[in-house]
Amino acid sequence: MRSVFTRSLAMLTIAAPLLAQEGGEAAAKPSLLSLQSGLMFWTLVVFVILFVGLSKFAFGPITKAVADREQALLDAIEAAKKDRDDAAALLEQHRKAIEAARNEAQRFIAEGRAQAEKMKAEMLEQTHAQQAELLERARRDIDSEKTKAIDELRREAIDLALAGASKVIEKNLDDAQNRKLVESYLSSIK
Amino acid sequence: MRFARLAFALVSAIALPLALTPRAGTAQGSAAATQTAPAAEKPAQPDFITPHISDGSKIDVPSFSLRENLTREIELPKWAPVHIGPLTVDLSPTKHVVMLLIAAVLCALTLMTAAVSQARSAATGKPPRGFANAIEATVLYIRNEVIIPNVGRHGEAFVPFCLTLFFFILFMNLLGLIPYGATATSNISVTATLAIVSFFVVEIAGMRALGKGYINTIVYWPHDMSFAMKVFISPIMTPVELIGKITKPVALSIRLFANMIAGHVVVLALISLIFTFGSWLVVPVPVIAATGIMVLELFVAFLQAFVFTVLVSVFIGQIRESAH
Repeated sequence: MRSVFTRSLAMLTIAAPLLAQEGGEAAAKPSLLSLQSGLMFWTLVVFVILFVGLSKFAFGPITKAVADREQALLDAIEAAKKDRDDAAALLEQHRKAIEAARNEAQRFIAEGRAQAEKMKAEMLEQTHAQQAELLERARRDIDSEKTKAIDELRREAIDLALAGASKVIEKNLDDAQNRKLVESYLSSIK
Repeated sequence: MRFARLAFALVSAIALPLALTPRAGTAQGSAAATQTAPAAEKPAQPDFITPHISDGSKIDVPSFSLRENLTREIELPKWAPVHIGPLTVDLSPTKHVVMLLIAAVLCALTLMTAAVSQARSAATGKPPRGFANAIEATVLYIRNEVIIPNVGRHGEAFVPFCLTLFFFILFMNLLGLIPYGATATSNISVTATLAIVSFFVVEIAGMRALGKGYINTIVYWPHDMSFAMKVFISPIMTPVELIGKITKPVALSIRLFANMIAGHVVVLALISLIFTFGSWLVVPVPVIAATGIMVLELFVAFLQAFVFTVLVSVFIGQIRESAH
């Protein structure tokens, strides 16, 4: 429907200059649909000049500036992405270092604890040993003292016995022979 | 709100000189009637719509004298016609030639100013602000959302052409909304020239994209039919293809021209109601109605420039894709 309309109008347009020429002298003012060659020429000239001027001095610079800005934005985004990746890598590195340090500390603590444990055990053992040694020494001292005391006692007893016996049998008995006799007797009861 | 105020100002600016001219119009009209058609019996009606929308050898400039109805007409120079072969071309400047030039200069100034301030802000590494940013956004929108998607692959080559079309048409359309201005795009010669230029751009784009295959866009020769069928159908379809080619620029030129002329006719007709009724009482109704139409016109000025650009890019895209 519309194309029929436009086509009929188109025919009118194409025919209009002819019609206008035919009745050109009669009708003082040109029809709205008549083409004026002068105006068409000027339109063409102005349009071409405007086209050349605008594409060189307006659209070219504008689109170029926009493209540059877009490029700058892309670069900035790219750089930001790279920075972020670097930062992430660095963070990872630091995290690892912290983890390592923590492990080290943990190890140190464990080691220290183990060492302390060991030292404690050693000291305990040493104490025990010392105690035992002291006891042993005490026992040995006691033993030796006992032996010494027994010996002393024995000698004292011999002396007492001898003194007593000599008192008893002072007269008839040689001191030396009697002593030997008593000594032999005492050693037999030992 | 601001638009409405602007439109109101525009309408009153147009209406005021008109309101003060009925006598002059009548005198002119009757003078014309006595001169050209002595046989005309009925009294000639003053016609101030046709002179306003059609081309002429006079331009209106502001005047501050009420005696001149705030308008001074300036007669443009008349040059001897140039003969190019059989053609006789009258290159004398007319009202629409002047408007064309003003639109071109304004367009160039606006866009180049924006480009310069954009370059200045780009030097500081910041995106442009304000006006330059608005122009940049418009340019980018038309480029990225209209031209490149429609033209298709490697559409960048057509961007300056389509953008020039858009801004040039837009400025010509907008000039018509300004007091003392005239719409060059309401002249079929202007729109036809733009359409013809677009037609050549489309066809050359087709030739470059299709190479030898371009002939297929004129001669209908489908490769999936039998030879007999091709011979039969080609003479029928080839004229249809040709008409299809011619229709596009014709439709382009008429669409723009008719749209631009229609709004002006409606506004002027509404204002004319005041003089038809010849009463001050009737003034508010046409003024309000014309304000509404003026706001619509502002929209249409953008819309038609946009539509022209969209269609040209669609046509370029169509012919480049027609091989596939």
